[in-house]
Amino acid sequence: MDKIEKLKKVRNDIIKDYSGRDIKDTNIDTLVKDSKDLQYVIIKDIISETKDTKSFILIPDKSKGTDSLEPFKAGQYISLKMFIDEEYATRAYSLSSRPSLAKKGEYRITIKRVENGLVSNIMLDNMKVGDGLTISRPMGEFGYNEIRDEKNIIGIAGGSGITPFMAIAYSIIDKEIDANLTVFYSAKTKDDIIFRNEIESINKKSRKVKFVITLTREEADEYLYGHINKEMLEPYIKEFNTVLMCGPKTLYKTMNEILMEFDIPKKCVHYENFQVDYTPSEIKKYSLKVILKDDLVETTCKSDETLLVAMEKANIKAPSMCRVGICGYCRSILLEGNVKMIGSSMVKAMNENDYIHPCVSYPESDIVLRLDI
Amino acid sequence: MIYDYIVVGSGMGGIAAGLNLASNDKKVLILEKNSLPGGLVTTFKRGRFEFDTTLHTLANYGDEEITGDLKKILDKWEIDVPTVRIPLDIEIKEVSSKKDFIIKGEAEDIIVQLEEEYPGSMEKLKKLLKIVKEIHEALKVLLDKGKVEENEYPNFYKFVDLMAIDGLNLLGLKREVINKLSFVWLNLGSPLNKLSFIDYAEYMYKLIFKKEVVLTCKSLEFVLNMINKYQSMGGKILYNSNVIEVTKENNLMILKTEDGLIYKAKEVVFDVSKRYVFKELIKDAAKDIKKLENARTIGANGVIVYLGLNKSYQELGLKHHKYLLVDNLSSDINVKYMMNKNHNTIMGIVPNVVNIDASPKNTTILVLEKMFFKDIFKNINKYDYQKFKEDMAKEMINSFEENLGIDITEYIEEIEIATPFTIERYTNNINGSWFGYMRKGYDNSINRILAYPDEVMDKISFVGGSSLFASGVDNAFYSGIYVTQDKLNREVKHG
Repeated sequence: MDKIEKLKKVRNDIIKDYSGRDIKDTNIDTLVKDSKDLQYVIIKDIISETKDTKSFILIPDKSKGTDSLEPFKAGQYISLKMFIDEEYATRAYSLSSRPSLAKKGEYRITIKRVENGLVSNIMLDNMKVGDGLTISRPMGEFGYNEIRDEKNIIGIAGGSGITPFMAIAYSIIDKEIDANLTVFYSAKTKDDIIFRNEIESINKKSRKVKFVITLTREEADEYLYGHINKEMLEPYIKEFNTVLMCGPKTLYKTMNEILMEFDIPKKCVHYENFQVDYTPSEIKKYSLKVILKDDLVETTCKSDETLLVAMEKANIKAPSMCRVGICGYCRSILLEGNVKMIGSSMVKAMNENDYIHPCVSYPESDIVLRLDI
Repeated sequence: MIYDYIVVGSGMGGIAAGLNLASNDKKVLILEKNSLPGGLVTTFKRGRFEFDTTLHTLANYGDEEITGDLKKILDKWEIDVPTVRIPLDIEIKEVSSKKDFIIKGEAEDIIVQLEEEYPGSMEKLKKLLKIVKEIHEALKVLLDKGKVEENEYPNFYKFVDLMAIDGLNLLGLKREVINKLSFVWLNLGSPLNKLSFIDYAEYMYKLIFKKEVVLTCKSLEFVLNMINKYQSMGGKILYNSNVIEVTKENNLMILKTEDGLIYKAKEVVFDVSKRYVFKELIKDAAKDIKKLENARTIGANGVIVYLGLNKSYQELGLKHHKYLLVDNLSSDINVKYMMNKNHNTIMGIVPNVVNIDASPKNTTILVLEKMFFKDIFKNINKYDYQKFKEDMAKEMINSFEENLGIDITEYIEEIEIATPFTIERYTNNINGSWFGYMRKGYDNSINRILAYPDEVMDKISFVGGSSLFASGVDNAFYSGIYVTQDKLNREVKHG
């Protein structure tokens, strides 16, 4: 027989001798299949933290097929998906719970009321124990990274920016993270301090975690007064430090100036992107055409709201996660028109190919968007 | 709307299939499950760094002077890829013996270098080059005409049923010389005693005669250039379209996506593995397909660590484009080490050495890769996954630092870790494999090519790194062209 024919026969003979049973999954195959983008949860408990902030304890909704919760790294967030009065809306909330509790089937998110906020008001006023919610799997890069970061962590938290630091603190207490953490937490008044009892209890018990609270609009005996400043930080700065910040952009700006004085390299400072601030010079209304696969939806958008919000108001189920331009989940292609994109993180090739992140894009003309959902 | 062809997946094979079909005036739709094209060839951003995922050097591209097949195809469609030709520049260190050597320059330089070290090698190496070239030409004829005449290509016949190691021994090359030349086995995912001599020769042909190039743009720009061209020829691509079921109805293929939409076509081209298709998409697989799938070995998978460092590569003491640490220079011995979690074989890539724009000024990108020839991930659950991958990355960085005597950790500004889980979730690649099916004995690319006419299926075909030409960006791409062209030719034949 010809060598080539022989080679073909060898292949056929080997294959012939194998079992014709169904093809089995490997462990990685199974892990991938089990990792769902969406998780269905039930509110197990609601805790009032301050007059305008509540925590929600979430457990898996087995009736909807979520048997267990995805683990998370301290600092990560989930995206809450809601459908309110014909409008679709998502919001990103940092997980404020002990990461080890995820394995036992428990998450906690903590939500502060936003004036005229669509989701926060519904969550605070209407949601009750037993209600179901749809959330994403944990997402986000913010938090401590054992390989990248130093052992002395300085946390800077403004307002509800305290939430991821609770998870980081518990990760240290549970020895998942081997580091020391000092969180500088700035709140307006005593009554605005979220997790006050929890923080006090951690401060008493832990030798590795310390919260330093400062009030900006009220003087109180047990707390510092004023914005976080150099003098407050000084005793806690070591030779090598990692700084994690979560709060409004104005806080980042003043903190960066202070950190420069301590010679902390930029690579050691990490921010959670918290909110997008933009005010257009005038408020205008434009037309918005959205191409969804083979459909076209026509609606309007306003120069002071993002294209994502405009689409959600038109009940278009646009994908989104972080809502601050980072995760890339809402990525779309701008076919016509101009937008102002605020703080989006995008690969150069995407920019050059007219990709935009609608979650941080404000229209400056009529818009045609290709939304590949 | 009934498409002539629907392509599932927009990896290299899928894009090439789309380009070829669209340029032949077919109504084509690519369904991509992610929101970006490219599959494993993509770019992601962390902080101020843009990391290319897997495409670090491009084979069979060449330049104006020595034009590779890939360049010829892309040129035909006027797809411009900014590239620069690079010489080999790799430092190899055997961890056990602490011996290291550098492979630097063009093929001729390396032959001279080996002759100096091992006198008498030159003639044998020149003979090897001649054979490599003949095999390359024979393969072209085989793909074109379906057979090769023995009297025209005697060396093809002489070596076709040999494994690489046997062929190299037959040429009388010293074990040391074979070991020094065989570092490429890691790029093919098979040790020399499992890798066919033909597959080895074809890889060497491209490396030696067509050189390697690096992109001077990011991977994603390359991919988007191709997609733009595909669209300008009338091709259509839909993103976030994860195909979950494929059935046949009245001679039409019906594809259902996760979002509940239905697409119809006369033919389907899968840029995912046969294994995935017959496990997940087509429910009633024939027994011989299941036998084939149970017979095959899934290629090695592994962990990739992407590092953004806040110093220039010169300041860090990195001199070479690539670094390779191995436990043992002999591939068949080394592969045994690589069946354990704790082995020392690590590939390091420093794109800045060949491309000044790889990352911002005074920074460096370092990519570390470690692969495994046993399923070391088989007992991992989702709760210990995070720690497992971080520990693995830490070990890899430490090992790289220790063995090369340089400091990396201190300068890490950004870090991202890709595991088999990451790769499979993004691409549906079986077991997160880097190579699709392993090139192994009867399942090397040459064997798949020979079996191809008998294994062709009605209405469906397979392209990409898990298909005909096995792994590698150029192979995956070329499979998309070859397989669709074969389908088009058959259409013509059968009217």
